[in-house]
Amino acid sequence: MLGQRLLPWDYGIRNLFRRPSHTALTLVGLTIVVLLVLVVVGFIRGLEKSLAATGSPNVVLVYSLSSAADIEDSSIPGRTPALLAASVDGVRRQHGVEYVSPELYLATRIYTASLEEPGMGLVRGVTTSAPLVRGQVQLAQGAWPQSGEVMVGRLVHSKLGTSKEDLAIGQQVTFDGQTWTISGYFTAAGSAFESEIWAPLAGLQTALKRQDLSLVAVSMDSPDHVADVDLFCRERVDLELKAVSERSYYAALQKHYKPVRMLAWIVVALVAGSGIFAGLNTMYGAVVGRVRELATLQALGFRRRAILLTLVQEATLLACAGALVACLIGLVFVDGAAVRFTMGAFMLKIDSVGISVACGVAALLGIVGALPPALKAMRLPVAEAIKAI
Amino acid sequence: MKYELSALLVIASVLATSTGCGTAPASSSQLSMLAANIDASQFKLAEEPDGAVGVIAARESAEDGSPLVLVGRIGGSATPWIEGRAAFTLLDASMNVVAEGDDRAEGEICTGDCCATERLNCTTLVKVVDEHGQIVPVDSRQLLGLKESDLVVVQGTAKKDGNGNFVMLARGVFIRN
Repeated sequence: MLGQRLLPWDYGIRNLFRRPSHTALTLVGLTIVVLLVLVVVGFIRGLEKSLAATGSPNVVLVYSLSSAADIEDSSIPGRTPALLAASVDGVRRQHGVEYVSPELYLATRIYTASLEEPGMGLVRGVTTSAPLVRGQVQLAQGAWPQSGEVMVGRLVHSKLGTSKEDLAIGQQVTFDGQTWTISGYFTAAGSAFESEIWAPLAGLQTALKRQDLSLVAVSMDSPDHVADVDLFCRERVDLELKAVSERSYYAALQKHYKPVRMLAWIVVALVAGSGIFAGLNTMYGAVVGRVRELATLQALGFRRRAILLTLVQEATLLACAGALVACLIGLVFVDGAAVRFTMGAFMLKIDSVGISVACGVAALLGIVGALPPALKAMRLPVAEAIKAI
Repeated sequence: MKYELSALLVIASVLATSTGCGTAPASSSQLSMLAANIDASQFKLAEEPDGAVGVIAARESAEDGSPLVLVGRIGGSATPWIEGRAAFTLLDASMNVVAEGDDRAEGEICTGDCCATERLNCTTLVKVVDEHGQIVPVDSRQLLGLKESDLVVVQGTAKKDGNGNFVMLARGVFIRN
């Protein structure tokens, strides 16, 4: 009867507390491995979310045909928004207001109070129709910028490499030879706009001595009408315009960052792999020190399979505890941390996918890490093992 | 109380659906219904029409509003199709467009910015229109079974303006190969 029984559940748990320092060290090691996995997955998810959240299926970006996909290099006539609104069917209108946003977009060197060297920032000249088209943008604090003022996204500090205090309301930033006072602070549901500075279009055009625009963002009644803008641009070749749905534009950027994401997944696999080897090493140490104990259990009549299961249980419990601690650290300290990249900045995202991957890796560490040393220990004859020192 | 809530919900939904509807064009569901009711055969020509001219020649000689038969190859840009509309870019049959970055032979142009002006001179937009002159709201690949690089002959009317814009309003398409 005894031979067919499993070891009691609390036997494995008690064993963990029997060697507290060893257990604590193993727990720290496993936590670090799982946390590393969580951070890398958080990086991938944050980048994906930032680009996905920026593209709306109803919005079309109209920019210069000659600028390829680089909106910063685009220059289109200032009359383009009015022409589009008048010529294309399906442009969203409400209460007589057309959802057409003329914009000037540039990357420029920006000085803040504490920056000795200017940071490379993104500035968008906008009118009050911009929030109608970019629905995710919300003024979180302060006021819409007036002449000589700007409002900043919540990740601008990360993009510029400066402190949040430097970009507080009332502070000043300098770019293109003009000093601008910060009037407000906005959020944009995790999209790329959060790493931009928005200035009044007319003021920015004056500062830059430009009358043209970089692009026009048009919100359509439905995604079906996006094709009508494309049709207009191909029909009016004299305007040299190109229309791309905002979703396609950012999907193309997602493709551009595919190698980075692939590399990050490889890092996840490597970290998990190294974690398994570290776990194996730890578990070898743990099992080798318990050869006599395991042999005694066999002598008492417990089957090898039952003892093996207990060892896996111990390792898995420890790995899962490590995963819990890692997830807690991740949610408190890593989630929302800003990361700078070429297109702006984005926030690391510890979401259900990241937590699932981390827990999966932890379970793998527990099971795969415990099996080989346990199997090795079980192979020793009981009589020999019981005499082991 | 329950009745008041229901009435409020009804009013809210009526308001939500009616707001801005006065000027709104066909919605996506209306477009889908339109697409389902379109007889594609009316836009397919059983026989090749006579007197077809190339895109380059038509750009020079065609007059606004005059009947025109145009021959060319579907292409001339990275994406010759207009998604969800019976419209595509037609390239003069004598020209060949290669992908940006590829080696170019004599007479070949690429899809990059360097050849933008040359491309404009030898391409035109073809819009398949109904009897009212409205573009057919179905993707031309779906409506006519067209593929990129197909050599087609289109019959219709030329639309030209003083700014150099030239569009073919097609009433029928014949696929030569």
